[in-house]
Amino acid sequence: MPLLQVTDLVKHFPVRGGVLNRVIANVHAVNGVSFSVARGETLGIVGESGCGKSTLGKAILRLHDATSGKIAYDGTDITSLKHRDMIPFRRRLQIIFQDPYSSLNPRMTVKAMLREAIRFHEIVPNTELDTYIKSMLAKVGLPDDAMNKFPHEFSGGQRQRLGIARALALKPEFIVADEPVSALDVSIQAQVLNLLMDLKDEFGLTLIFISHDLKVIEHFCDRVLVMYLGHIVEEIRCEDLLDEARHPYTQALLGANPINDPADRRPLAVLEGDVPSPFDPPSGCPFVSRCSIAVEKCQTMPPLEQHSDSHRLACWER
Amino acid sequence: MIRRFMKSREVRKLLRNRLALVSLAISGLYLTVGLAVLLFGLITLDDTEVRVGMDSTPGFGREVKPEERFETCDWYLTRFERLLKRKDVDSAIAEWDTVAYRKLAIDADQLEERVDEAIEIYEELEEEEDLDERPELESRLAELETIMASFFVTPSGFDKLLYDARLCLGTDRQGRSILVRGLYSIKVAVQIGLIVSLIAVTLGSLLGCAAAFFGGWVDHLVIFLYSTLSSIPNLVLLTMLAFAFTGSSVEETLIPVYVAFCATFWIGPCRVIRGETLKLKELEYVQAATAVGFGRLRIMVKHIIPTTAHLMFVNFSLLFVGAIKGEVILSFLGLGVKKGPSWGIMISASRPEVLNGFFWQIGTATVLMFGLVLSFNILTDALQDAFDPKHAG
Repeated sequence: MPLLQVTDLVKHFPVRGGVLNRVIANVHAVNGVSFSVARGETLGIVGESGCGKSTLGKAILRLHDATSGKIAYDGTDITSLKHRDMIPFRRRLQIIFQDPYSSLNPRMTVKAMLREAIRFHEIVPNTELDTYIKSMLAKVGLPDDAMNKFPHEFSGGQRQRLGIARALALKPEFIVADEPVSALDVSIQAQVLNLLMDLKDEFGLTLIFISHDLKVIEHFCDRVLVMYLGHIVEEIRCEDLLDEARHPYTQALLGANPINDPADRRPLAVLEGDVPSPFDPPSGCPFVSRCSIAVEKCQTMPPLEQHSDSHRLACWER
Repeated sequence: MIRRFMKSREVRKLLRNRLALVSLAISGLYLTVGLAVLLFGLITLDDTEVRVGMDSTPGFGREVKPEERFETCDWYLTRFERLLKRKDVDSAIAEWDTVAYRKLAIDADQLEERVDEAIEIYEELEEEEDLDERPELESRLAELETIMASFFVTPSGFDKLLYDARLCLGTDRQGRSILVRGLYSIKVAVQIGLIVSLIAVTLGSLLGCAAAFFGGWVDHLVIFLYSTLSSIPNLVLLTMLAFAFTGSSVEETLIPVYVAFCATFWIGPCRVIRGETLKLKELEYVQAATAVGFGRLRIMVKHIIPTTAHLMFVNFSLLFVGAIKGEVILSFLGLGVKKGPSWGIMISASRPEVLNGFFWQIGTATVLMFGLVLSFNILTDALQDAFDPKHAG
């Protein structure tokens, strides 16, 4: 049984306006997404800005309440659990945020921040709190004296490590990493990614890794979901990505990656145009307006079909 | 905790600003006087009501013309003659309190004798016209003043200092010390400023924070309340509320003033804190707190309210000054402080004096108020600069 099973998840954000402040439109952030994550697996979610990947990640943790659909974690449907019943799952599911500057409370020292969460879930006895916090900081490569500092005293990379320490301190099983490195310098990105990899093995974590950078995902994940405008357009094992990815959008993403071999020249498939507005998504294939191989049939929605054990694809033409 | 606060970037920045330091010192002086009166009774209400000299005497540092000196003698002589007509003159002398802190030093016989003596010179001088232009009469006038002075116990040491201090800014039309009344008004101002701004900031911040954080009907209710209240002109509402208390048992206290100000002053902080909370609650650290599993109340109290502290701080000092200015206006209109002095009452009472060219009372009240309001405004500005995270460095 998969650890996480998401079925037909939909998240719409209502847009209010007018004199009576009624709902005048919906932003279709996530539009009927289904997938599962096995224990110990690392699933990547890739897509460009605004495709709903962060919303999906936050909906899994109930930071956004889903409009419809079902999220089952370890056999329990957590989609509509009350706050009190959700608390044990809160410990088991954690998140690492994108922006290391807004993800730490500016008025709390590192120690206060970690202590509050650890005591809330009674992870260790109070007498061992300090030792535990120090060990957590050591795990993410920060010195002991970081305990009594405020977030603004750290660099971006250090702050991201603090974000990771906060998530890990609760001994979770499952972590959603929401673009954890995209706000960092490239040199720091590698450090943080390696840290995440090591910690994943050490703690036996299951991970959902959200990124807009297919290269990072390829390097880091077992399987990848390619999202476009709130839909999954392709799901594929990372090792098959180069050879078997067939959706024109996935190929465009692959084509956008620089190749570190001057001899290896492939034709560039540069995408034209913009992502359609999520207020008013097209009724057919979401990618139709930018697709180079679109045909008449693409005006209707292609189903996400299982092509092989590990490969799902939503395209009429491939 | 305090040491960390004193060493923080904000405080160090504040201490580098020289103008802020001066205004901090001045505001601190006002607060000290205000609190000394409020807590230790440095000046009591009775001190502000007693006569310490004759009516409308000017303060020190101004040349007193012979005509005015003559009038002073006239004023005292009239009262001594009245005293001599009493049945039991000796006990009347002992109880003489027409002018507080100024006891008579003589018995009934001596009094009668010296009053006669004084009246002789007095009548002689009264016949002359235009004393100001007649330097040759100076010696007679001085003689009269010597006799007048001999009636009283001459204060010495600390008493003399106090006696001079009470008269140093002159007296009002009831012979009360302007300095004492002006200083006592600091207490009134500080008391009203502190209580009103504390209540208003607390109330406004909690409402604003709750409105933004919980949204829905809570938000609608709070917005409705403050937009309704702020659509009524502030002063009209204050006047109406002050009137509403007329005749009730708390009319004489400051409670109507507190209620009137708190009813409108919470709007400012409420609006600011609501806006800030709307911004903060979408930040990722608040989502992180939700992901840990904290309840909404805990997130609001521990993660949102502390982050809006600098806004509360600034709003507090703005309202403090606002309440003081408002109190002066209300008291000037006769709706604020009902018992005891206040700068508003002093300014209001000095209207006829100003027509006669007597500026001591209105001057004292306005200068004291000006000093407090200006220094506090500068301090607020400096606080805002120092504590606003956007003005880093």
